[in-house]
Amino acid sequence: MELDLFVSGIGGQGVQLIGKTIALAALREDRHVMFSGEFGGHMRGGSSVVTVVIGPDPVRALPNLPSAGTAIAMSHSFWEKVGPRLRPGSLILAEETIADALPDTEGHILVRVPALALGTRAGNRLSASMAMMGAFSELTGAIGLQSLEEAMTEQLPPYRKQHAGTNASAIALGAEHIRAEGLSGRHPAPYLAESIPA
Amino acid sequence: MTEMRLLDGSEAIVEAALLAGARFFAGYPMAPATELLEHMAAKLPRVDGVCINADSELQAVNMALGAAQVGARAATGSCGQGLALMQEAIAEAALNETPLVIFNIARNQQDYFQATRGGGWGDYRTVTFAPKDLHEAVEHTHLAFHVADKYRVPVIFMADNLIARTQMGTALPVPELETLPPKDWALDGTMGGTGASRWIWTFGGGKANRPGVGPDGYWRQIADKFDRIAKAEARHEQGFCDDAECVVVAFGSGGKFVEHVVRELRAEGHKIGFFRPVTLWPFPSEALEAATENASNILVFELNAGQMIDDVRLAVEGRDRIKPIGGISFDDSGLNIGPLMDARVIRTRILDQLAGKPLTELPYTGMGAYL
Repeated sequence: MELDLFVSGIGGQGVQLIGKTIALAALREDRHVMFSGEFGGHMRGGSSVVTVVIGPDPVRALPNLPSAGTAIAMSHSFWEKVGPRLRPGSLILAEETIADALPDTEGHILVRVPALALGTRAGNRLSASMAMMGAFSELTGAIGLQSLEEAMTEQLPPYRKQHAGTNASAIALGAEHIRAEGLSGRHPAPYLAESIPA
Repeated sequence: MTEMRLLDGSEAIVEAALLAGARFFAGYPMAPATELLEHMAAKLPRVDGVCINADSELQAVNMALGAAQVGARAATGSCGQGLALMQEAIAEAALNETPLVIFNIARNQQDYFQATRGGGWGDYRTVTFAPKDLHEAVEHTHLAFHVADKYRVPVIFMADNLIARTQMGTALPVPELETLPPKDWALDGTMGGTGASRWIWTFGGGKANRPGVGPDGYWRQIADKFDRIAKAEARHEQGFCDDAECVVVAFGSGGKFVEHVVRELRAEGHKIGFFRPVTLWPFPSEALEAATENASNILVFELNAGQMIDDVRLAVEGRDRIKPIGGISFDDSGLNIGPLMDARVIRTRILDQLAGKPLTELPYTGMGAYL
């Protein structure tokens, strides 16, 4: 079974980067993936929503998902594009400072992640997106931390290589936070119960 | 497993074209086809190919025509609005038997008539592949070049911005296709007066030592060829049609959305099936007729004011059974597919039809001629 994920926030928060990095990390683990942005929303400050689908077999999901079972909220702005499309009982990873501002989260599993604080601790507030991905990895096992770090490094252009260390620290801190909360592997990706790809 | 790469549709199509042996591309930028041109420009030189950003669509298609006539696998591309400008050259390619691939990264689905009827002069058709997603787009890219060479015809490859911009993991598989004979017709630079020069001419004229069949005979041959293609190359995909009381017909991305909704409705117990023309021309008429034999409702979903529905009406008996559930739907920019391409909307429209609601009472737009 496929894991379907919405990532939502404000353009500039790293929403596109989260989606792409998770997709690339899954690909490194021989999963099948689809990654699509909601077009027109790629402006800084505008709405930014992406979808990622990961599965053991070629992805059959639609490019704009009618519904999903997992979400990452970097901001409460534009949440109306995602919230109503979550199936009952969905897993929501929300940035701690905006988690309470998300409407209608009853019936879902809400996990607060202090991504901004962890990013700041790693050395750069902008690496909040990395901390969030570390938390997602530790909570779901959908992708391994090593693949995540490799996928992050793979995408850094030469003029941003200096951020690799900070990003890696933020990923590790996000994962560590979930472990400290006792939530490691608590919400496994749907395909983990199925056979490991050859 | 061959290693997969995360590619968007534009890049995957270009990679597949290179694997298919394409070595020439000329185009002119127009959203959402610009990325195709950009990837061609970046990648073709790496395989000793040539990509030219032409001054116009007319120039681009005629450059590609020239490259194809000396035997290269050549292509041009744009969106439907750009293909509108290329119509004369596409008709020329059909009538002077030049294998040419034309990529249409469409903004919507208003390109159906353009692709299947064409706007040039003469008794010609254009084989048209309409992939439903990136994986099929990769396969169709190979098929487009193959069919173009096999029959010496122009072939239209019609994807859309959803396919072009969605990224998927792909290993870029190469389908196994029959080996084609060498292009002994291609222009090779041999000059007139040598007795060995070659002509590519829309009028089917001959030379002093090889008079040819003349215009009348030539255009009959061309028409016969399109008849052969019509019989041999129609492709389709269908599901759950055997006992379906309702069959939903859709093409391209629309076909993928409809399949998704139909699978859901099947799981809920509805006797419903889907039918997707994979080639828009040749239209899979016989297969559609068979698939809808027992259906009392044939619903046509397309993002236009009603174009493919004409082919559905030509293919099946009983016009009363055929109803449109699509319509014109663009986003605010006018460059992208609109909100109608949504599983929840399609589902509602199908359920409205199953409940027998009259179309005129439903808030559908842009299908006046068919209501």
